[in-house]
Order: sequence, then C-alpha cells, then structure tokens
Amino acid sequence: MTGVPLNVDWQQILLHLFNFTILFGALYILLYKPVKDFMAGREAHYADMDAKAEQALADAQSSKESYESKLQSFDAEIKAEKAKMSEELETEKEKKLSAAKTEAETIIQDAKAQAEKEKSKIVKSAQKEISDIINEAMDKLALGESDADVFDKFLDAAEEKSK
Amino acid sequence: MSKEKKRKAIIFFAALALVFMAGAVLTGSSEKHETVQEMMRDSVLHDLNKISLLGIKDVNPGLIAGFIVSGILILFALFCRIFVIPKFKLVPGKFQSVLETVVGLFDGMAKTNSHHLNGFLGAYIFAAGAFIFTGTLFELFGVQAVTTSGHSVSLPAPFSDINGAIMMGCLSYLVILSGGIIGNGVKGIGKTLKEFSLPISLSFRLFGALLSGALVTELVYYYSSLSYGLPVLVGVLFTLLHALIQAYVLTMLTSLFYGEVSEKTEKKKKAKDKAGEKADAEESNQESVDNNEQEAAA
Repeated sequence: MTGVPLNVDWQQILLHLFNFTILFGALYILLYKPVKDFMAGREAHYADMDAKAEQALADAQSSKESYESKLQSFDAEIKAEKAKMSEELETEKEKKLSAAKTEAETIIQDAKAQAEKEKSKIVKSAQKEISDIINEAMDKLALGESDADVFDKFLDAAEEKSK
Repeated sequence: MSKEKKRKAIIFFAALALVFMAGAVLTGSSEKHETVQEMMRDSVLHDLNKISLLGIKDVNPGLIAGFIVSGILILFALFCRIFVIPKFKLVPGKFQSVLETVVGLFDGMAKTNSHHLNGFLGAYIFAAGAFIFTGTLFELFGVQAVTTSGHSVSLPAPFSDINGAIMMGCLSYLVILSGGIIGNGVKGIGKTLKEFSLPISLSFRLFGALLSGALVTELVYYYSSLSYGLPVLVGVLFTLLHALIQAYVLTMLTSLFYGEVSEKTEKKKKAKDKAGEKADAEESNQESVDNNEQEAAA
C-alpha cells in the first residue's frame, strides 16, 4: 500500500484485531475467569470460616458471661442461704439455751425443795431423837442415875448417832 | 563437587565454546540476501519481506508471529483449564501460585486504578499484558519463516510490526472510551476525546520500544563478530526487561486512563471543593501566623 506512512495496512490491522479478539476471548474463558472465580471462592470460603469462627467466639463469650452471671447469682444465693442457716442456728441455740436454763432452774428448784424436805426431815428426826434422848435421860434420872452418868450417856448416845 | 572436578568442568565448557566459535568463524555465514541497511529499513517499513497468509494475502512477519503467539497462549490456557485448574487447592502449589499471582496482579491493577467497572478492564489488561509479554519474548526463539521471495527470516515480536502496535494502541483507546461512556455517558466521551493523542502515543510507544529492540538484536546478529557473548546481554536480558516493561506500561496506562474517564464527575467536584476548602483554611492559617509574627516583631 503506497502513500501510507510506514506502510500501515488497514487490512493487517484488522487481522491483528481479529487475532487479539480471539486471544482475549479464549484467555478470558479458559484462564482469567476460572482462576478469578476460584480465588473469589476461596476468599468467600475463608470469609465464611472467619465469620463462623467469630460467631463461635461470640457464642462462647456470651455463654461465658451467662455462666459468670449464674456463678455470681449462685454466690449470692449461697450467701443468703448461709445467713439464713446461721440465723436459724442462732434461734435454735437460743431456744436450746433457754430450755436448758429453764431445766436447770427446775432442777435447782427441785433440788432446793428436796434439800428443804431432807433438811426438815433430818431436823424432825433429830428433834425426835433429841426428845427421845431427853426422855430417856429423864427416865434414867428418874430411876436414880447421877447427873454425870446421864450426861455421859447422853454424850455417848449423841456420839453414836453422829457416827 | 570437588575443586578438581569444578576446574575440569570449566575447562571442558571453555574448550567446547572455543570449538563452536572456531567452527562458526571457519565455516562463515551463509551469503546474506540483503544488506544491513536493507534489513533495518525493512524492519521499519515492512516492504520487502512478506509472508503469504495461506495464499490469501502477503502479510508482514509480525502478523504471523502474532498468530503463533496467540496459538501458544490459547494452547497454554487450554492446558491449564483442562489439567491444572480443576486440581486447584485451597493452599496453592507453585504453579497455581504463579497463575494466581498473574491473574491477581492484573485484577488488582484494574481495581486500584478504576474503582468502577473494573471487571472487563481486568480481563482486557490481562490479555493485553500476556500478549505483549509473550510476543516480545517470542523474538528470542528466532522462529524461522519463509518469505514470498523464498528467503528465510526469523519472526519478530508481533508489536514490532506497526500494524500490530496500532491495533493495540487504538483498541486500548476504544476500551478507555467504552469505560468513559459506561461510567459517564456523553461526558465520558468528551473526557476521553480530550486525550485524542492517546491512541497515537500508545501505538508508537509500543512500536518504537519493540522496534528499537528488534533493530539492536538484528544489528548484533547481522555481524558474526558481535554474535559471541553480546547476545546474552542484548538478546536475553534486554528482551526480558523489555517484555516486562512494555507489558506493564501499556496495561498501567490503559487502566489509569480507564479509571480516570469512568470516574463519576460529581465525586471529582466534591474532591475539588474539599481541596479548595483545605487551601482556604491553610491560607487563613498562614495569614494568622504572619500577623502573629508581625506583632511579635513590633
């Protein structure tokens, strides 16, 4: 083709264009798109994995928080239970103490009454014995024993009694 | 390997290289059918060496190279689609990593430079980048073809043919224009047309870069005295760099301009307003600082 600078040939340019168009199409369909699709798929796969891991982490975090709150509530419950128990214990203790006191007082009173009874009984028996001794002494006096003998006998009898 | 063995291996390879060199010098090169001037002129103008395209039309060797490179790339893609991609794993192996890195590179470039409509852009710059890179490396292999005049020529890079470079430049411009239209409608067309020099600059940048590489390589290989040692540097390293740089430049420019024209205009206005407010605030701050300084001086 004469007259065109550098022998530019439009027909050959179109042939080059035809060649490149086929190459572009083939490379796009056979290489570029499949590789890009694979890369996008892998990216999506890892993004999905990442999202799942994040979800699992969030779930774990939330369950940890719920367990922590449950633990805290358990602590509070245990404290309340402890307080209740100690209160009950205190009441029971007081009850038992008062019962013991009452019982002790009753025992003391009973003992006192018994002692009083015993005392009066002893006094009575002693009085009776004294009167018996006196009576005996009077009888002996009346029978002619000396005062000294009577007194000695009285002392002996008293001594014997005391033994 | 012991030192003695190493020394023997070095001597063996040096002797082998000398034998090849002596053979090449003694046998001499076959008679050249064109002078270096003619050869270099043909590299630029493509008016001498034509190759018949299935008997339909005589075309430049660059077009044939383009077809071959496309065929290689399509075969490679087919191989990957059938044997490699179905076996892709979540934790990639070496080859999978390479494929993913290349696709990710162009996809990332499209996404970074154009926040809207970057799906098509990514696919386009991937194809363009792969074509430019592989096409430029293709000239390293020196695949031979027979011209219509019966001579043998080594096929050049597809874009050292001006027609290929114009196609790539103009197509990139059309892609940018399509981005402008989809993103901004009529305004997008206006924005794209403002860059009217873009198709020319894209085309000729590619053509110039690859042509200069081809010329230097042709020159080096034309003279047998330059054909020892030097091609390692010129042929391999330069071509590799070249392939990388040209693929990167065209794809980067395309994605940059695409992003610019497809960006919504309102956002730009807002950004401008924000920038104006910031500038005003800085100005007032500067004034207050100046006043304070004056007061302090007084």
